[in-house]
Amino acid sequence: MTHASPTPTKKYDLNFARWVYENVDGGDRMALCMQCGTCSGSCPVGQQMDYGPRKLFMMIRAGLKEEVLKSNTLWNCVSCYNCVVRCPRKVPVTYILHDLATVAVREGYAEAKESDNSRFAKAFWWSAAKYGRTDERLVTALYYFSFGMGEGYKRGMANMPIAMGMVKTKRMHLGMPHKCKNTGELKKILAKAAEIEARSHAGGAGNANPAGGTAGHDK
Amino acid sequence: MTKKIVSYYPGCSSQASAVHLDTSLRAVMPKLGVEFKEVQDWNCCGASVGHIAGGHVPMAALSGRNLANAKTDGTSDFVTPCAACYLNSHYTNEKIRDNAKVRDEVNEALGVAGKSYDGSLNVRHICEVIVNDVGMDAVKAQVKNPLTGLKVAGYIGCQTVRPFARTERGGMWDTYDDPTFLNDFISATGATAVPYTKKTSCCGGSVSVMSPEKTLHLIKDIVGEAQEQGADVIATPCPLCQTNVEMYQTALNQKYGTNFNIPVVFYSQLFAVAFGMDPKKDAALHQHLISADPVLARAK
Ligand code: SF4
Ligand code: SF4
Repeated sequence: MTHASPTPTKKYDLNFARWVYENVDGGDRMALCMQCGTCSGSCPVGQQMDYGPRKLFMMIRAGLKEEVLKSNTLWNCVSCYNCVVRCPRKVPVTYILHDLATVAVREGYAEAKESDNSRFAKAFWWSAAKYGRTDERLVTALYYFSFGMGEGYKRGMANMPIAMGMVKTKRMHLGMPHKCKNTGELKKILAKAAEIEARSHAGGAGNANPAGGTAGHDK
Repeated sequence: MTKKIVSYYPGCSSQASAVHLDTSLRAVMPKLGVEFKEVQDWNCCGASVGHIAGGHVPMAALSGRNLANAKTDGTSDFVTPCAACYLNSHYTNEKIRDNAKVRDEVNEALGVAGKSYDGSLNVRHICEVIVNDVGMDAVKAQVKNPLTGLKVAGYIGCQTVRPFARTERGGMWDTYDDPTFLNDFISATGATAVPYTKKTSCCGGSVSVMSPEKTLHLIKDIVGEAQEQGADVIATPCPLCQTNVEMYQTALNQKYGTNFNIPVVFYSQLFAVAFGMDPKKDAALHQHLISADPVLARAK
């Protein structure tokens, strides 16, 4: 079922939209979007997005896969769920954006892989999976240095006053990371979960368009 | 007073940036008849970025393991004070309960450790427990040191009520756009809740942590309105809101030429002081980057 998303070959090719409806978390409800714009109008960071959620959903329907998966909309969303609770069609907008972000990284778009969020997520997941806990010090350090030594140092220094304040007020500790006791068990569970995840994305024909691909408005 | 035992999931921030939320809750909740049984060997919930690096099933497995561990404690409520922990645990719990595919996948993963979970716990935000199980009368009954005259901007943030102001047992515990619970908490302590329209505005969450240049303007509005309304302190239930809104005030002053210096505390710290408890040991008021002087001055 789930495999790499199809790349449309002509204008208003519905294959990408159909793939999103079927494979993206909440995608089935996206089919009901009536383009009212309540989501974009409610978004606190809509001004900083390449496209607001309403427009992004229309672009999915129009088959603009590249533009969608490269857009900063996926990364600038602050997960405030304003759009979700206000959408008159109960489209779970935030979940759809989250999942499109995952798709963009999985399918190797440079814009996605190099985004702050993807770098941060990598550092975050490393800590959560290794220790069972988020170590805020290690996560931020790993994240800063993902930009390279020079930039990492610069970012680290810029945040030094905050870090010192956190240490002084005992909200950041020095020493070994916090961890849960049975990290071995957690690792086993997560390894199995990753295997199940991979299973669901296997068997696709890469970015190839499904045979035919004639469905579209411009037939 | 009715006594209640709940499974308590403190979340990662309880060990670091929001240790003062954890300390003050552990101090005040027994006084409100709620005993915590900490979820055994709990792990991180994955917050709002885990899906990107981990994927869906591993993300669901994180909350699944916590819920499975809590289930063995024999309580019926899985309670957390963190907005992101609430959102993830609630979402995964509903999925495990209502979606056979997710239930099977999570259980297949948990199975390698001999664990399983069926979605039968109620995932609840601790503020909802205070609203529905404790009630404001029980809070007021504990107030020995009313915070009279203290002006508080009640800043709820987004994820505490969105999207799960809808509880698992049906019904809403508050509203999405204009929730009132925090002002009720503030008034119960004897303090004054100032009018505050930014109450559910987003602080930028994890985006503020990784790329503050994108979201500082959001925090500027949040602190700015509190200042305009003459608030002595901002009070919040959310660990990440507390950190973001407090730690970036210096950066805001540099960027916008403002003169912000408003302490940001948790409602539970206000409770501890109003209950006449120790400002340090119980309220953890010494753990602020911006000293919570107006609250400290009222401590007994
Ligand atoms: S609010 Fe809902 S229906 Fe309206 S444009 Fe956004 S997603 Fe579509
Ligand atoms: S959840 Fe994301 S897309 Fe929706 S309103 Fe908030 S920032 Fe905008």
